[in-house]
Amino acid sequence: MNKNTIRKLVSAGLLLILILIFTISSDYFLTLGNFMEIFRDASVVGIIGIGVTMVILTAGIDLSTGSIMALVGMTMANIYRYTLLPIWVMILAGLLVGTLAGLFNGVIITKFSLPEFIATLSTMSIFRALTYIISIKQNGLITSQALKARSFILLGKSVGGIYYVIIVFVLLAVIGQVILKYTRFGTNLYAVGSNIKAAQLSGINTDRTRALAYVITGFCAGIASVFMTARLQSTTALLGEGMEFNVIAAVVVGGCSLAGGRGDIVGTLIGAIFMATLDNGIYKFQINTAYQLIIKGIIIICVVVFDSWYNNFMDEASRNKKLKGVGE
Amino acid sequence: MKKKFSMEKYSRIFILLLFIIVLTVIRPKSFPTVNNISNVLWSISVVGILVSGSIFVMLLGGIDLSVGSLMGLSAVVTVITIRNYDYSNKGVILGITLALFVGIAAGALHGFLVMTFHVPAFLVTFATQSIYLGISMVLTNNKILSCLEPKLFTSIGLGRIGPFTFPIYFMILIALLSFFILNKTVLGRHIYAVGGNPEASRISGISVKKITLISYITSGLTAAIGGIVLASMTQQGMASTGSGYDTEVITAAVIGGVSLVGGAGTIQGAIVGAMLVGLLNNGMNLMNVPSTNQGLVKGLVIICAVALDIMQKNEKKVHLPFSKKKKAGGNV
Repeated sequence: MNKNTIRKLVSAGLLLILILIFTISSDYFLTLGNFMEIFRDASVVGIIGIGVTMVILTAGIDLSTGSIMALVGMTMANIYRYTLLPIWVMILAGLLVGTLAGLFNGVIITKFSLPEFIATLSTMSIFRALTYIISIKQNGLITSQALKARSFILLGKSVGGIYYVIIVFVLLAVIGQVILKYTRFGTNLYAVGSNIKAAQLSGINTDRTRALAYVITGFCAGIASVFMTARLQSTTALLGEGMEFNVIAAVVVGGCSLAGGRGDIVGTLIGAIFMATLDNGIYKFQINTAYQLIIKGIIIICVVVFDSWYNNFMDEASRNKKLKGVGE
Repeated sequence: MKKKFSMEKYSRIFILLLFIIVLTVIRPKSFPTVNNISNVLWSISVVGILVSGSIFVMLLGGIDLSVGSLMGLSAVVTVITIRNYDYSNKGVILGITLALFVGIAAGALHGFLVMTFHVPAFLVTFATQSIYLGISMVLTNNKILSCLEPKLFTSIGLGRIGPFTFPIYFMILIALLSFFILNKTVLGRHIYAVGGNPEASRISGISVKKITLISYITSGLTAAIGGIVLASMTQQGMASTGSGYDTEVITAAVIGGVSLVGGAGTIQGAIVGAMLVGLLNNGMNLMNVPSTNQGLVKGLVIICAVALDIMQKNEKKVHLPFSKKKKAGGNV
């Protein structure tokens, strides 16, 4: 069995254990309605996670996703409030803003060779500040803006018990996985993450590959924002705060290596469901939200430490195997 | 070559002076007042204390994102201990000692995780940031705990000698200590060596693990000191006391010319960076820029500073056969 498959089974096993614990301790947990809720929460994180997976595959990081969500939401709110444009134009404009924000990240990282981490840390505060600047004010106070167009709030609803956002997430996840495994861009992402020098020497345009990953992340954050605001039927300047933390946690739990070159969308899907289940369980147990922060932080550290140990372990195992082969 | 170096060295001080002159010219009534200047110095002093320790980690190519919430935790621990000891002086000493231990323990944890498991520093501190915030929220029950007594506690942040408040002297003291360690001791030379090239340092017999551990502990310790000072200044303990200071520290260091891939940067530069950040904040406040919008300017400033730094370095490195390129986050 392949090393990555085993890693994925470990994440899935963790998820099962978590579900088992919550099922035993609460009667309300294992119901269809609750599961739909979990999937719904997981979908928003997961949609952004698709982009962030690609970024992390290139050994990058994106901390600005939460702020991009807020910027997209506020752009749509402005269009909704001050213009008579149809709803689909509003959504397209929102997605465009998200994509442009991603492009900005990509450009400053590849053209000015800023470290990914510091670049997106700065854009995190830039996009958030821009959201505040364009936010709708009443009597000088920033207020939340309702987005109640009927065709828009429909996006937050469900069809046959399945929320639209879940359908979109599954669709995007399939597309993302296909891109990663069966297209040249996908292969390039893995190549850049595994060894950027080798990728460059073998003729891959590494800058374009990396920048595109950030553009896709911006676009995904835009989509997540559309569904989030449709569900809330409003938007605020605080939309998506802390989202980047959840997304990175989901991607890491799903087995993406932060050193780049390992992981895929299936893992991220498992990770997103894991984080959503955890949130849901903690909420159902009525534990103080402060513990949520502590538990999530500890889980991230445990997973990362496990990953590091596991990688060494597997590397050693494969080395031993090779040595044996030589001996024979 | 040498001439260019010194130009670079003083360019930040020129910018600082320019800043002061511009602010004096456009806000002649509100900027050069005693009240305002002491306000600026206040905010600079906290960032200055923090950056004096965090620079150790940054010189190794690591980063400490947990500074802000660790400050909150240390503030909360101090205030709770003082309140439990009926606002006595004994409580103050005990509270401060406890808070410092919390800082050292947290730093040791970061250092341990980074050095044993080679986990990216930013991810470790990203996770512990949320853990410390959670712990402070549990300890305070998410309330603001005020602490107006005793004098021993409040004078840490508010007492003054001459025209300046204590925190400024603390900053100078800690920055000098940091300067001494980095420039005059073996430890300091080793930190620069490990940051510049960990593999070469290991081969030449430097204990990289020990250096890593010490650096993270220093960062945790200064975060704790910053938290205590801030708690005393605001006379309260609150879980979110230090929020935003992590970015502030990184901004100060980056503007001050500390390279985030490690091995380059000076404490004097970082302190000048802290002054620039303090003046930038103050200037925006005086121009009535809402605090929520200030992130735009700060973000752009970081991007420009880092981009310029990297461009300068690329120019210099053209002749070198091997240019060091590390992945983001860095392993050390």
